[in-house]
Amino acid sequence: MSTWSAVAIVAVVGLMTYSMRAVAIVSLADREVPAWAERALRSVGPAVLAALTVNLAAGGEGGPSMEIAEVLALVAAGGAALWRKNLLVSLAAGMITLWVVSAFV
Amino acid sequence: MVEPSTTGWIDRRAVIDALPLFVPVVPFGFVIGLAVSEGQMPVAIGWATSLFIFGGAAQLAVVELAGTASMWAVIVAGLVINVRHVMYSAALAPTFRQQPRWMRWAGPFVLIDQVFALVMLQTDRPPAEFRRYYLTVGLLFYINWQWATALGLVVGPVVPDSWQLGFAPPIMFLGIVLVSVGKRAHAAAVVVAGAVGLVTAGMQDRLGILLGAIAGVIAGALVEYRDEVRS
Repeated sequence: MSTWSAVAIVAVVGLMTYSMRAVAIVSLADREVPAWAERALRSVGPAVLAALTVNLAAGGEGGPSMEIAEVLALVAAGGAALWRKNLLVSLAAGMITLWVVSAFV
Repeated sequence: MVEPSTTGWIDRRAVIDALPLFVPVVPFGFVIGLAVSEGQMPVAIGWATSLFIFGGAAQLAVVELAGTASMWAVIVAGLVINVRHVMYSAALAPTFRQQPRWMRWAGPFVLIDQVFALVMLQTDRPPAEFRRYYLTVGLLFYINWQWATALGLVVGPVVPDSWQLGFAPPIMFLGIVLVSVGKRAHAAAVVVAGAVGLVTAGMQDRLGILLGAIAGVIAGALVEYRDEVRS
């Protein structure tokens, strides 16, 4: 691989990635957005995060798959998050469950 | 979230919030560093993906594919993986409306998954406080990502696989989703996005994230519309 094609790849992907991150923030700033779009925008955050969570947990080519320890870790973390409303408690509950169950299964 | 410190340039609460999300990023940075050292890109340019692309999954795809696929295939793979950032941008656009112009142009540069997830819980804050929180989290991740990937070049992955730190991000994101869900419409968005995301989890280039998110947004908007009509 030549140095120039490597530089071109990094430059194009870098520039396009920045553009994708900036496009809505910069272009919607001084504009009135119709009501239906406002409604849709308010759901973007929760929807993207939920899809990202599932994909990170179960994703990969060849279809969704998870270990039993991973499923239980998510259940524990989810329960802790709903119960305590605290991210650190949720993370601790999930990781400890993951380690403990992995050690026994 | 607990009441933050409101003085100085750095939001201490932001640092505390970011740390648990950053720890699992370090081994991932090592993996990318290792991939760069073994890949076909010149090492300095491979590492520069951290500086200019600043997105782990896309960097890994670019570094791994470089030299084994056509230049355009490498570029397209990197971009498809990062397409979800358009949705982050859209979700934060209403909050950024209250920010000065320089912030609207500079802020998006560090808008990665973790930054998005953390700042979504802060959108009700006054603009100046939101800005300090956003920049603290964003710069923290940016600076740390540079040394983590550089270190990976030198020492390779030293954290044992048995720690399973790779599974920490989905646990953390799940917590953020559940803590932040308030309205019925959000709950609908989460459930539908999660279900569609699960069905499509096996798709290439993490396209399932995009499909799940779109389905969730539609569901959330429909429920919100119905609730507005009823009330």
